[in-house]
Amino acid sequence: MNNWIINNFWIKIVSLTLAVITWFYVNEELIKEKKMVKQLYKSSVISQIQNPPYNKKPVK
Amino acid sequence: MNDYLSLAKILIEIGILWFVYYGILLFARGTRGVYILRGVILITLIFIITRQLGFERINWIFTKIFALSILAFLIIFQQEIRRGLANIGQRRWSRFFLKESEIISEITTACFLLSKKKIGALIAIERETRLENYIESGIEIDAKVNSELLITIFMPNTPLHDGGIVVAGERIAASGCLFPLTQNPKVLTTLGTRHRAALGLSEETDAIVVVVSEETGGVSVAIGGRLTHDLDRESLERVLSNLYRPDKKNRK
Repeated sequence: MNNWIINNFWIKIVSLTLAVITWFYVNEELIKEKKMVKQLYKSSVISQIQNPPYNKKPVK
Repeated sequence: MNDYLSLAKILIEIGILWFVYYGILLFARGTRGVYILRGVILITLIFIITRQLGFERINWIFTKIFALSILAFLIIFQQEIRRGLANIGQRRWSRFFLKESEIISEITTACFLLSKKKIGALIAIERETRLENYIESGIEIDAKVNSELLITIFMPNTPLHDGGIVVAGERIAASGCLFPLTQNPKVLTTLGTRHRAALGLSEETDAIVVVVSEETGGVSVAIGGRLTHDLDRESLERVLSNLYRPDKKNRK
């Protein structure tokens, strides 16, 4: 067990750092994406309420 | 309960990412590609930092470089990626029934018998970095490690005595293998080709390379680009048992 930790110690530490950075970065991007989708959904719902499609005149 | 579950999920996700990064770094370590990999990691980190800090223009530039570097990475490492993917399938994960002390003893015995007779020898012992490229440069043997065979291979005026032997797992994988010579300008000019090859291989991979000098009969070990001269039997056994143990692979 001890040998497993010591062996390639610095590569393990660097990989762990990269893994943590990647995780936080992707997590933040996912949160942003979700927020954006929510906002888009809200704005489309609001616009539909304000201008319901049945009020629109058919294009000739 | 829910909190524990999400924490476990986060830890598992980070664990998977760690495993992937560790595999890539281990694979790239010891090859010249590690410098390119360092560059890619640096660009990626700068890209992430500038994005977080909101430096839009710098981020735009790095986005373009990042996209290009991924393409360049795929082209430059085409062969390595192909080899790496093939290795994933080939790799034997079981590391049971290791006969490490037996193998170490056979190698040590052979080295000191060769040393006594002042017969040159070059033996590379594979650890985590695969020596497939070097094995391919020699003649495949695939035999159990034993001192008699090692001595026979290095006997002068025999077809296999030129070049080095690669020991992979519990087998002598190949002999007559060509190892890269060190390009380090600090290396003494008095060192012969065999020692230069040992240093070169140890710089490029994590292999343990044992050299027996033809001139002096001295036994040296090269690890990580460093050469330790004139080891006695006990020291060689100690070095091998300390370094060889964790990374042994059961190839056959």
